[in-house]
Amino acid sequence: MVRTGGFARLAVLTAVAFSTACSSSSTTSTSSQSTSSDAPSGATIKIGIDLPLSGGDAAQGIPTRNGAVLAVEEANAKGVPGGFKFVAYDLDDAVQGAHDPAQGAQNVKTFVADDAVLAMVGPFNSSVAKAQIPISNDAGLAQISPAATNPTLTKPPDAVKLRTSHPDTNTFFRVCTTDDRQGAAGAQFARKLGLKKAFIVDDNETYGKGLADVFEAQFKAAGGTVLGHEHLTKGQADFKALLTKAHALGPDLVFYGGTTVTGGALLRKQMGDTGLGAVTFLGGDGISDTEFLKSAGAGANGSYYTVAAPETSKLPSATAFVKAYEKRWNTDVGPYSANAYTAAEIEIAAIEKSLASNGGKMPDRAAVLSAVAATKGFASPIGAVGFDPNGDTTAPILSVYKIANGKANFIEQIVLKV
Amino acid sequence: MHVLIQQLVNGLSLGGIYALIALGYTMVYGIIELINFAHGDVYTFGTFTSLAVLTGLGVSGELHGPALIGVVALTIVAAMLTCGALGALIELLAYRRLRNAPRLAPLITAIGVSFILENVMQLWHGPSPIAFPEVIPNPTATIAGVDVSAKQILVIALALVMMTALQLFIYDTKIGKAMRATAQDRDAAQLMGINVNTTIVVTFLIGSALAGAAGFVSGVYYGNTWFFNGFEAGLKAFTAAVLGGIGNIVGAMLGGFLIGLIEAIATQYIPQGEQWSNVVVFSVLVLVLIFRPSGLLGESLPEKV
Repeated sequence: MVRTGGFARLAVLTAVAFSTACSSSSTTSTSSQSTSSDAPSGATIKIGIDLPLSGGDAAQGIPTRNGAVLAVEEANAKGVPGGFKFVAYDLDDAVQGAHDPAQGAQNVKTFVADDAVLAMVGPFNSSVAKAQIPISNDAGLAQISPAATNPTLTKPPDAVKLRTSHPDTNTFFRVCTTDDRQGAAGAQFARKLGLKKAFIVDDNETYGKGLADVFEAQFKAAGGTVLGHEHLTKGQADFKALLTKAHALGPDLVFYGGTTVTGGALLRKQMGDTGLGAVTFLGGDGISDTEFLKSAGAGANGSYYTVAAPETSKLPSATAFVKAYEKRWNTDVGPYSANAYTAAEIEIAAIEKSLASNGGKMPDRAAVLSAVAATKGFASPIGAVGFDPNGDTTAPILSVYKIANGKANFIEQIVLKV
Repeated sequence: MHVLIQQLVNGLSLGGIYALIALGYTMVYGIIELINFAHGDVYTFGTFTSLAVLTGLGVSGELHGPALIGVVALTIVAAMLTCGALGALIELLAYRRLRNAPRLAPLITAIGVSFILENVMQLWHGPSPIAFPEVIPNPTATIAGVDVSAKQILVIALALVMMTALQLFIYDTKIGKAMRATAQDRDAAQLMGINVNTTIVVTFLIGSALAGAAGFVSGVYYGNTWFFNGFEAGLKAFTAAVLGGIGNIVGAMLGGFLIGLIEAIATQYIPQGEQWSNVVVFSVLVLVLIFRPSGLLGESLPEKV
């Protein structure tokens, strides 16, 4: 991958240069439009939506967007105070089939230039969020992400560095939980299974190592013992020596922080060859894909993994949403559809509140932002949602899945205390 | 103690795969002094070919008795033939015209061929890991607390058999003699009536066929493959060839087993050893090269260094 990456990057850069040139021209036209037609645009309030909507990432992006659009349509059907109408204004941040931070940043600039955009839903990916936060921070535009889980986006001191224009103001919120909480949920779940001695392996990448480090700390805090914590080297395919070492220590759990491709599937598979076949295997959402089931084969059975989102099909609060979604889009709910729906609902509620306090006139972004930040106990499909001062959800709900007969089955919901 | 022996078994079976790939590196280097960077990808191509044959035969699970022997023999032969032909084709199309060019030109061409093979395989099966059917039953014997599986024995045995066969071929056949002569002095060999082109093609063919066998074995051993597998394995095998003395058949085998063993032992006895094992392998390589610049069994022929 290292060697092919160079070409891919070059191609993407060229494409970005192109699309930036194109969209910057469209930006000017949009902003000139909205200034020239100031009076009629007063009747419309736009909710910006930035997600990857094309290429391979679209499989995640489209169901997520559909959730947000549904919330906008429902709000219009109910009627908006002051005769306003909401419009879902969606832009694609994928370039050549994959999410692209530069394109995401450009999209936020487009939203900022449009006076009718009072808040936005997105992005999907943490790398895109990193590029967007300085821009939304500068403009005071509230954004709620349904899916970006990297802890540094919200937690000081790293998060403060992203708020370049107004370090004291936060414009980035999210309704998903973070990877550090995912590690905590994994530890809590492992202890609940009665597991005491863990051997931890991670892939030495930002996501995997972060997850494994939190798991280690939390597992120890919950009374468990950590027998070892090893890091994989990129490209390695033979983990038998590592697993023999683990086997000699006698663990009852192997925890894996990383993704399927960086070693998860092979590690699980080779556990069977090294006497660890009967030992519990637990991972994070990095192995929550069909690739893991295919590559680890029969070895995958009995494995557990956590996901940083609630399982909507099992939530009583989500039944109405799931029904409405399936009726509107004729497909199943995506893993982050309910999160996007909730993000849009919170923004709509904040805008309506600001409308009311502004005497039914178009509110400014600052009012909407402070209303979003003040969200507490908001009833949504994913439960009561609120934001802490960093912009993180106060209702961190995670799900645990167990693989049996080559299929992942939902086991339980974990609600962490914050 | 049994952990140490277990790690030796692990190391030997990992080393067996390195050794099989290293044989091809060392043969090609020995004869035309080219580091054939595409060799690791030819090895992965062997796994992919085996997978295609097994899929074509409709095999997806364990086999027993005559069916097992038949399918394994057919697959391994198919993989060896395909990879051998591929290696010969690469020599013909990519390297032959550059034989008298400066050494950097064929080296860069080799990297280019490696790119082409990787991308062909990526188009073939996609960028994700692929499961390889576990054809061979894997009974595991436990001797004094040490687990030895049938697959591990297969890997080690195949490496030893192939090396012996190759050694006999090179020292006891006419074409082997031609290969040795070409390796020593290409021009003089030609003057003595040896068809240098045929000899070099045969070298590529045999080296690549061995990589094909290694590809099948690694598929069976790990039950898994992906298009980029050959990069890391090729690098290690190349290191093995250098460690043992590049150009030397027994040296390649020794280097492969040594690297496998060093990796396993380092993983076991160094804290967080998994991420340090490569560091240890390459440190050993540097040390060996300082004291024995031509490798452990390498002959210090001036034209080989």
